[in-house]
Amino acid sequence: MNKLSQNKILIPLVILLSIILGIYLAISSIDSYIQNNELSIKNGNWIVNPNMDLKDNYQRAYIARIGVFALDEKEALYFLASKDSDGEILSSNFDYQIIGKPPKGRYWSYTLYGEDYFLVKNDNDIHAINKENFDINKPIIISSKRKEVNWLPSGNEKEFYINLRIYNPEKDVYENLESIKLPQIKRIEL
Amino acid sequence: MKKLILYLLLSFIVSYGSYNITILMIPNIIYKVFHYKIVNNQNVQDNELKHFNIPNDQSRDVVMPNPDFLYSTSFYDLSNGDLNLKGKMPDSTYWSVSFYKPNTVNWFVKNDNEFIDNNLDMKITLSNSDQENIIVSPVKKGFMIIRILVEKKDNKSIDYYKVLQKSITLN
Repeated sequence: MNKLSQNKILIPLVILLSIILGIYLAISSIDSYIQNNELSIKNGNWIVNPNMDLKDNYQRAYIARIGVFALDEKEALYFLASKDSDGEILSSNFDYQIIGKPPKGRYWSYTLYGEDYFLVKNDNDIHAINKENFDINKPIIISSKRKEVNWLPSGNEKEFYINLRIYNPEKDVYENLESIKLPQIKRIEL
Repeated sequence: MKKLILYLLLSFIVSYGSYNITILMIPNIIYKVFHYKIVNNQNVQDNELKHFNIPNDQSRDVVMPNPDFLYSTSFYDLSNGDLNLKGKMPDSTYWSVSFYKPNTVNWFVKNDNEFIDNNLDMKITLSNSDQENIIVSPVKKGFMIIRILVEKKDNKSIDYYKVLQKSITLN
């Protein structure tokens, strides 16, 4: 094979492999940001991603992957926890209690999502506890075993996420995301 | 040796470009995949409003759906002119209208507290206007979501909100 023929094969091959490498590295870097929450604001065991109208391409890709079609921070805030207050991964092998009030806003809700970011499967069709269906006199319990009130079924998930949504949060909430007091998620024995 | 350096340089430049283009395009690709799924799985065309039930653990259209909301959505296309969004909305619960670019950026949202009453009456256009009910889209094609909060999930409440949801039209 002469040099010209070699180049004819090698150059397109190098270009093709380089394109694939670039795509792979880009997807891996966004996945790594998601796993390490590197682009999020952290507050205890919660993370939050404000300001959806970002010019930053990384942040936009990150948000599109984990919460496509989310609203801007004045309309809604999405606090996400994958660990309890002691830093342990949330799992349906354990029971949890949510302690403390959510930040002030017009409406709040707690929802459980599986590792795939879809709603946790459960036979009771209970997927959220919100401001209206919440019994103020009882704690919110996350458990795979049925509870009478304020129960969020954790199904059969090796790992899950808790999403705390605040619609129309008060100004001092979205302006102080790193320091506002957020509820604790405590592992409990039932 | 010189050839190897040239190949490595070529590989670095192409990989760098491919990396940055991928980061830039990830939201657009997610949008395109979602568009494809909606058009094919739900049999919905552009400028057609699709009224969804409250999401459950079988819902797979978007990640992290809110199980307290009734969603109505449309991929809008202003190529053939303006669109009118109309409907009778609830008067005692949160509802909102939001618009997104094909890169998934939320460029407009307005909720029930910001409307004069519970009559939804908006024109979506590309032409500049200062009028309150005219929404000037920065893009010819995009996505809209109408969210209605269903706080209590008894059948009576759900049915009531569904009737209102079905009153929403896009023409």
